[in-house]
Amino acid sequence: MKKLFVILSSLIAISVLSGCVSLNSVSLTQLPKERDHLVSATASDLVFLGFTTQNDFVDEAIESLKAQCRGGKLTGILTKHQTTAYVLVFKREVIASGYCNIAEA
Amino acid sequence: MLRVLMISLILICSGCARLDHIQISDIDQSQGDLRPISVKLSDTGFNASEAVAITSELAQSESAKENLGDLAAILALINMGPSTGNPVYNDRYAENILLQLHQQCPTGKITALRNIREARSYGPVSGEIVRIDADCIL
Repeated sequence: MKKLFVILSSLIAISVLSGCVSLNSVSLTQLPKERDHLVSATASDLVFLGFTTQNDFVDEAIESLKAQCRGGKLTGILTKHQTTAYVLVFKREVIASGYCNIAEA
Repeated sequence: MLRVLMISLILICSGCARLDHIQISDIDQSQGDLRPISVKLSDTGFNASEAVAITSELAQSESAKENLGDLAAILALINMGPSTGNPVYNDRYAENILLQLHQQCPTGKITALRNIREARSYGPVSGEIVRIDADCIL
């Protein structure tokens, strides 16, 4: 019983302590006057022990941002690149948000 | 033999992509059609300490192992400090990026710039990459 308790406690401790986020980079572009329409996009991938051969997941965030502001101008873009470490697995994530302004004809 | 196999496996598996930094600029889709453009510049990065440490593992005699281990520690201490990726021997490899970007976009109107600092790592050697993806307004 004591052994089971130790194993369970260890598993919980490992899961909680290793689920840590590190913020790799943050950037912000010029903010617009009109800030009514906020759009955001997230792209991520999971890598085992850090082994991966591509960084293509980043493009998903861009395409999503573009799709949410067709024919408009996206400014005030806040980009965050962060990595969350789980047990043996890392989640790489790009979170981007910005203000969409579509000029009226 | 097993040691060589293990080190080879580590080197092969470490042919990995690394993402250090990404920055997205304003995206203007109001001025016309967009054509994707991309510029990638890279230089070879070399981690001398890691290379010596691997050599140390492969060494046959104990004294050679010890000496190489000490050398690896000295090299690690010399290169200690904040850095992004492995050191390169040319600090100007990314300087022509703007020129190359303009060559791909004759109209000169470039939007949706994505500044990406990444690398391909093969053990102690790596390709340290600066990539700019963008859209040319036609």
